[in-house]
Amino acid sequence: MITLEAQDITCAYDGRPVLEELCLAVRSGEVTALIGPNGVGKTTLLRAMARLLEPRQGSVLLAGRDLRDMSSKAVAQQLGLAPQAETASWPITVERAVSLGRAPHRGWLLPFSAEDRAIVEGILQQTGLVPLRERRVTELSGGEQRRVILARVLAQQPEVLLLDEPTAYLDLKYQTEILELVSRLAHEDKLAVVISLHDLNLAALYADRVALLSEGALQAVGAPSEVLTPERLTQVYGVPVVVTRHPVSDTPLVMPVANGTSSHKRVSES
Amino acid sequence: MALLALSGLVAVSLVLSLGLGAVSLTPSQVVDVLASHLPWGEPVEGVHATIVWDLRLARALLAALIGAGLAAAGAAFQGLFRNPLADPFIVGASGGAALGATLAITAGLRWSGAGFGPVPLAAFVGTLLAVALVYAVAETGGHAPAVALLLAGAALSTILSAAVSLLMLLNDRALHEVFTWLLGGLGGRSWPHLRASVPYLLIGLASLWLMARPLDALASGEETAQSLGLRLPHARGAIVAAASLTTAAAVAVGGIIGFVGLIAPHAARLLFGADHHRLIPASALLGALLLLLADDLARTVLAPVELPVGIVTALLGGPFFLYLLKTRQRELGG
Repeated sequence: MITLEAQDITCAYDGRPVLEELCLAVRSGEVTALIGPNGVGKTTLLRAMARLLEPRQGSVLLAGRDLRDMSSKAVAQQLGLAPQAETASWPITVERAVSLGRAPHRGWLLPFSAEDRAIVEGILQQTGLVPLRERRVTELSGGEQRRVILARVLAQQPEVLLLDEPTAYLDLKYQTEILELVSRLAHEDKLAVVISLHDLNLAALYADRVALLSEGALQAVGAPSEVLTPERLTQVYGVPVVVTRHPVSDTPLVMPVANGTSSHKRVSES
Repeated sequence: MALLALSGLVAVSLVLSLGLGAVSLTPSQVVDVLASHLPWGEPVEGVHATIVWDLRLARALLAALIGAGLAAAGAAFQGLFRNPLADPFIVGASGGAALGATLAITAGLRWSGAGFGPVPLAAFVGTLLAVALVYAVAETGGHAPAVALLLAGAALSTILSAAVSLLMLLNDRALHEVFTWLLGGLGGRSWPHLRASVPYLLIGLASLWLMARPLDALASGEETAQSLGLRLPHARGAIVAAASLTTAAAVAVGGIIGFVGLIAPHAARLLFGADHHRLIPASALLGALLLLLADDLARTVLAPVELPVGIVTALLGGPFFLYLLKTRQRELGG
């Protein structure tokens, strides 16, 4: 059982506050989806929780220890972050890129052991990257690159997994595959998982908890059906939405209320 | 396996190079002389032994080592900056070396140290000072961002080369000597030069190879490297230090030899891929091969006149680079 807890953190870029006195705790065995409009600080929150950004005030605790008091190596052994902005700009091979996930455990200078290679092998299979292992990461599609990033984070064998927009650029099949995998990691392997997502319906479908971020603070945290209400979403996103239920999973299904051209449809149906 | 084959190729070129010159020798004659210096070897007397051992071997080894050093440093800088146009001189090394050497020549310095004569010593120190200055300028809060390093390196290089030009104008007696040094060459280099630079070159090469995994991580982006627990300031500092030590030692004894450190890493990436644990040694071997062959040409094309090897590498390497750029843009990794 591990927890990652942001306690009253305030973060700012160039003096402009992005997050103010924000609290969020995530636990093993749960997927927490971080949602909110563009530019509200989802990435900032993930970076702060991964020790890539030091909060101005407040602290982030990993299993009760302040990240400030831990070495980068110790953090990287327990916590993996898949950044959103990473684009492959240098043509190392897929296998090499994934095996970098072993560095927090093996160190930066020693050769990888047989155990490291076995772990990397297992993850290449788990993420379907075996056929691509000798390819250069720069030659991959955006979706394939996302899988490489996820595989590298998994090779870290972290207890806490922070994924920034893991489904960006992916088609429906890979979006589902990644989220199924993430869900298994949380529920079967008992990882604590935080993912930032734009797709509210995928968040509702796969997350145990949803945290809605807006204006530097969490507007609501809880089960998807508690957080994803039409009033709250309309207010936060600034567009009218309706919420129905997913016909199979009975989770919330969020749809914008289309204005303008299609308004006559609404009239004719009523 | 492919690296072994490449090592073999370097060894063969070395033997062939040792046979080239005013007195040409067959490979077996060369091998006999080399073998005679092994503990169990049979002694070889006479003029062949003198030619191979006393006149040619040190220079050939120096060419190979300088080529290896420049190429490995170039590969490391290209990976560090994720920029295929980076070369060993990108953070101000050539400017520092040139100013150091020019000062030593024009002022007629007679200091020596660390096994180096006055001009190599001044070039060595100048290189390290210039890189340290660039690093100090680029550093903010224990962190030297890649872009700041590149810009500071470019600016300092311009300033230093202006200073070199000024010194040359003011000291026209030394003009020829300075100019020859700036073009880079191995004429007259022998055992003392090799002995002085070998420790730095070998330590530099080994450190660069050790930096392979941090370089791979940096190639995936700074955020990623950090999230893997890599401490960026330390890693970047260590890579710049190792590459600059290697470059300084190479420049001290060979002058500013261009293009090897740019082209060898490119060719190595095309042949062996960009994973640094293979790329660094592959670049070093290709660099050794290139500079050995370039020096053979420099010695023989206009014999008995010797060309500065820097002219050969630029004349041959430049077009080759343009050819790569035209035909293999994608693989260049830009």
